[in-house]
Amino acid sequence: MMNYIWAGMLITGIAFATYRGVLSAFSESLMESCTDGVYFVIGLAGIMAVWSGLMNIAKDSGLIDAFARLVRPVIRFLFPKERNRETIAMILMSFSANIFGAGNSATIFALKSMVMLDEENGRSPVASDAMCMFLAVNMSMIQIVPVTIVKIRSDAGSEDPGSIIIPSILAGFASMIVSIAVCKFYERKQA
Amino acid sequence: MTDVFGLISLCFIPGMITIIIGHGMWKRVAVYDSFIEGAKTGIETAITILPFIIAIFIGIEAMVSSGAMEYLENFLGPVLEKLGIPKELTSLILLRPVSGSGSLALVERIVTAYGADSFLGNAASVMVGSCETVFYVIAVYFGATAVKKIRHSLLAGLIGYGAGVMASVWILKVSMKG
Repeated sequence: MMNYIWAGMLITGIAFATYRGVLSAFSESLMESCTDGVYFVIGLAGIMAVWSGLMNIAKDSGLIDAFARLVRPVIRFLFPKERNRETIAMILMSFSANIFGAGNSATIFALKSMVMLDEENGRSPVASDAMCMFLAVNMSMIQIVPVTIVKIRSDAGSEDPGSIIIPSILAGFASMIVSIAVCKFYERKQA
Repeated sequence: MTDVFGLISLCFIPGMITIIIGHGMWKRVAVYDSFIEGAKTGIETAITILPFIIAIFIGIEAMVSSGAMEYLENFLGPVLEKLGIPKELTSLILLRPVSGSGSLALVERIVTAYGADSFLGNAASVMVGSCETVFYVIAVYFGATAVKKIRHSLLAGLIGYGAGVMASVWILKVSMKG
């Protein structure tokens, strides 16, 4: 699927740029975006190292086990087959980092969770139910205080910049419930 | 209420670090060695995802800088309007699943143009505040794994996103009436 989407994006782009006669500017920004990608990952690598290091301490000290035991019921519903405490802890860390707006850290926990789920899936080329569910929840997981947006609004002279927080949480919930339902539907269909 | 949440957000990172290191010391873990061990795997993961990030970056850039995205907006605008979504929000709806920073820049523009407390300003804010960059998440997160067949994950993300967009507009329509 990714093959078609990616090829589609590039080919559509090239066709449009040719048609509109903006090929040279197009090529330039395309090359620039590769560099942006590298900078982005270099920035990420530092934080990633820090959190992976800290999580390793938490694993060695048994903190992760304790944390995983605490929230078992929710995990049972979303990931019925998940037994590995470390994976559960990582998934939870990624969710909570997301909620509290630690954006880059959330990305790192999510990546680690995916790697762990991948190993449990035997590095199969077919995504497991747990992976799909994890992504579905992750994609609709929202920040309790969308700091950047609140900032943008107060800069623009809003009377009450925080007024969008509750509606955002509600809309986020709607989105999450639908995503989870789609996943559960496909899980049943396969079973 | 905003203040309480704001405080939690502020304390999240330092709080986590204190708890983890404190608990580690208490359990007599060699915290420094353990940290280095974990940090190594962190760097490895970063390198693993680099090609996937570059791929998705150029894919998105191709759509945006060629003007293909703009064309799609003009095409989709009237369709969305039938669903009760103002056409001024079309570009935001299309950009949000592919680019986090791009959609924030767009919200800034919408908020400045129509006013922060206008319906459009609020709707744009809620939309971005309640959704994630679906394509980016799929490309990068699966990038770290051996998965080739992503099954229903993209569909679940997109349908969820659509529900979030509709909910944003409806919730605001109801709440701003009162």
